[in-house]
Amino acid sequence: MRQLVIGTAFLAAACGGPQSTPAPAAPTAGQPSAAVQLGGPPTGVGTSTADTGEIKPADPTTFYKTPGYSPYAGRNYPERPYFGDEHVHTAWSVDAGGSGATLGPEEATRFARGDEVTSTSGQPVKLGQPLDWVAITDHSDMMGMISEIKGGNPEMMADPTIKRWREMFNGGPVEAKKAVMELVAAQANKKLPPIASDPRFAKSVWAKTTTIAEKYNEPGRFTAFIGYEWTSNAGGGDNLHRNIIYRDNKDKADRVLPFTTFQSENPEDLWKWMTEWEKTTGGKILAIPHNGNLSNGRMFALTTFSGDPLTKAWADARRRWEPLFEAIQMKGQSESHPSLSPTDDFAAYELWDRGNLTQTPKKPGMIAREYAREALKNGLRIEQDLGSNPFKFGMAGGTDTHNGLVAAEEDNFFAKFPSAEPRPDRWEEDAMNFGPNRIVKGWEMTAAGYTAVWATGNTRAELWDAMMRRETYATSGPRMIVRFFGGYDFTQADATRSPAVAGYAKGVPMGADLPAAPAGKAPTFLVAALKDRYSGNLDRIQIIKGWLGKDGMPQEKLYDVVWGDKDRRRIVNGKLTPVGNTVDVATATWTNTIGDPELVAVWKDPDFDPAVRAVYYARVLEIPTPRWTAYDAAYFKIKITDPKVPMTTQERAFTSPIWYSPQ
Amino acid sequence: MRKLLGEPMLHFLLIGLALFGAYRWVSPRASGGGRIVITQGILDDLVTQHVAARGREPSTSELHHLIESYVRDEILYREGVRLGLERDDLVVKRRVRQKIEMIAEEDAATRAPTEADLSAYLLANQARFARPAVFTFEQVFIGESQPGPAVVHVVTITGEALRRGVDPEGLGKPTLLPHRMTTTPADLVARDFGPVFAAALEQAPVGEWVGPIDSSFGAHYVRVSDRTPAAAPQLAAVRDQVVREWENERRQRARNDAYTKMRGEYQVSIEATRATEGR
Repeated sequence: MRQLVIGTAFLAAACGGPQSTPAPAAPTAGQPSAAVQLGGPPTGVGTSTADTGEIKPADPTTFYKTPGYSPYAGRNYPERPYFGDEHVHTAWSVDAGGSGATLGPEEATRFARGDEVTSTSGQPVKLGQPLDWVAITDHSDMMGMISEIKGGNPEMMADPTIKRWREMFNGGPVEAKKAVMELVAAQANKKLPPIASDPRFAKSVWAKTTTIAEKYNEPGRFTAFIGYEWTSNAGGGDNLHRNIIYRDNKDKADRVLPFTTFQSENPEDLWKWMTEWEKTTGGKILAIPHNGNLSNGRMFALTTFSGDPLTKAWADARRRWEPLFEAIQMKGQSESHPSLSPTDDFAAYELWDRGNLTQTPKKPGMIAREYAREALKNGLRIEQDLGSNPFKFGMAGGTDTHNGLVAAEEDNFFAKFPSAEPRPDRWEEDAMNFGPNRIVKGWEMTAAGYTAVWATGNTRAELWDAMMRRETYATSGPRMIVRFFGGYDFTQADATRSPAVAGYAKGVPMGADLPAAPAGKAPTFLVAALKDRYSGNLDRIQIIKGWLGKDGMPQEKLYDVVWGDKDRRRIVNGKLTPVGNTVDVATATWTNTIGDPELVAVWKDPDFDPAVRAVYYARVLEIPTPRWTAYDAAYFKIKITDPKVPMTTQERAFTSPIWYSPQ
Repeated sequence: MRKLLGEPMLHFLLIGLALFGAYRWVSPRASGGGRIVITQGILDDLVTQHVAARGREPSTSELHHLIESYVRDEILYREGVRLGLERDDLVVKRRVRQKIEMIAEEDAATRAPTEADLSAYLLANQARFARPAVFTFEQVFIGESQPGPAVVHVVTITGEALRRGVDPEGLGKPTLLPHRMTTTPADLVARDFGPVFAAALEQAPVGEWVGPIDSSFGAHYVRVSDRTPAAAPQLAAVRDQVVREWENERRQRARNDAYTKMRGEYQVSIEATRATEGR
């Protein structure tokens, strides 16, 4: 079994090898004629009926500006966040299938929407709370698996119609077009030759994947995005992976096969491909990079892939195609690192900081180019120099599961590979082993995370548009609700029954830009959080500010802006006293007798300089609760005595930032 | 030493070494064989794949590259198979297993369900397709539901104010919960407020402020303005879901049936023993 883990981890890392032969999107394939719903309308679920018109992408400023008599009129802003996972591998990913995963995209999607399934290791499993949406993102490399579908296959050619079509295809463009028309008509009229729907010649895996997404996409109830992962491991394991998320449906997605790293490992080529894709199909796609922490200094490098200086065009392209960054998942968090943020007492959290994906050790300086916070700060500097900020991204969270199970709950953690599904020994085994000193232990796996999207409704288009305008936040797993608005006129009175009303009326939401600062005014922020009803109370909300110092160097400062148990906690030497800890590790339980279920505050930047670029985001911390290792110990009745193994965790959320630029 | 001998890595290395030796031994005769023909069909396939991936025809050099890598794949693959390298390879095995399972599943997918299939399936799975109650309601959050004189006071004051027609906007405690939900199914209400709250909405009188009603967060005043009661499913309304579930079940059964059938054609004898503990 150990051998297997090594082998598959290498596959995950390398995913290289010879060019695979993806199955052609065989035109003769029995494409499903099932109803394909196009660009689902806004559903109104969770929103007011006052306006069900679609909100134009990237313009939250129109959400609520004109208070009239009716308090509900015009209230068409997002009223609830939709929780989902933008990063799921199933048995159809070559490394997942190779490691024995048996759950394909259909089982994975069913699990995400709340159905019970049987895991690869034979254990029944169900999510504590269903997700609102999911994107199955199997690796594009070697996706075409049923590759024996040969165009000139003799069995196919035995059918006279197919033979004739084939000859027409080869007979020049006019004839070929005629053949296509005939074929389309035959398919529409269900008059395809029987052999054409023979499963042995059926479909590419991509077409099958998109069919499954289509089947389970139920606007208003559950969104199944079409997606894939482009898995670039430059230089042998420097993680530059990106998940590609489609706004559109199968009809557009099927027109072009996913981009693979056999074509290129350079993200710039991916962006070119995305540009081409949009031009060809008229659809829309975006990319979400992940695991900066495993990129050995390359995820947020201050040079291009080939080592050249950044240009404005490069910065524009990155910002355009990559509106979000996955800051937490099962392979650790990439939000902040203690060596970069020495004053941040909570940065040393779920760190995977020793090497890249193949655990090639890091060299000094690499970590500074791997974490979101540092990149947000560096983005300000690049913007000052080039006039464009490449790192203007919002926050996402995903699982990166490789067994089809988006089970990121601490008490329901099914881990990353089938071999690490619940078993008494999984904590002490090697999760990855690339040789001496290049090992990641089982206990280091992180039970995380999800993306919360502030969309006007639960449809592909609405969620995607919200991702594009970065109105999202990442969580380590719990479904806490977090609002974060910036403006110049928020006052304590705005911390009302519905912060969103004041939030959208007087400011901009997470992911947006502050307008120009009125003379003499500093930015104010309205921030609020509500606990996950099944998880811990809230410890505190922090606002993290990054800016450019007088010397042009990026700076950061953390502010505790509101906290639970207000009457008993104090700021001592500039630090808020800890919330405490009620966890009983032996039984893996805790009590919500500390912290608060809900926190809301208005905070004004005390050090604002209108001449200086700045970026602000919020981080919400829960009180300590049992980590998955504690649930394992309690369930399997094992002793975990290694002091390195954390048995409690402080779950958290990070919001997308709000930016300020001098005019 | 004993531990070392049990180490799979060592086995792997030894096997590798043996294979390498065997290869050296047999290769002068066994290798170099065979003919690789690039038929029009194969070439067209390579081009089709290129077009599907890149959205355009390959250039001359790209075409050469496609052919070259096809040939390289083919030669190395054939040489590997000649040595039996595919045999004890778990990854290859699983990949092939996946293919055959997919084919079994696809076989099942070729038959579309009839009306009778769907009606029978729906009848057998009423609960799964039941249409939940649908609500439109507003709520005012009062706070934690622990009993106490202060809470009772707030509850009373809020209730009276609401019944007098005071704007709910100004009442209650701040909350991030939606203060209004429109034509929302009970299970989605439960996702936000908890199942107890959703169940209470089924009983609440329509058009009146009532409370306190408990959610997972505390107590609320609630006014349901519209309610469609839960109903037994009609095929027309849930057709897509029924088709999907029917197909899914059939697909999984097909996969298992195919295996069971094949298993029946094999004789498995376990000629080894191993002491184990526990269940």
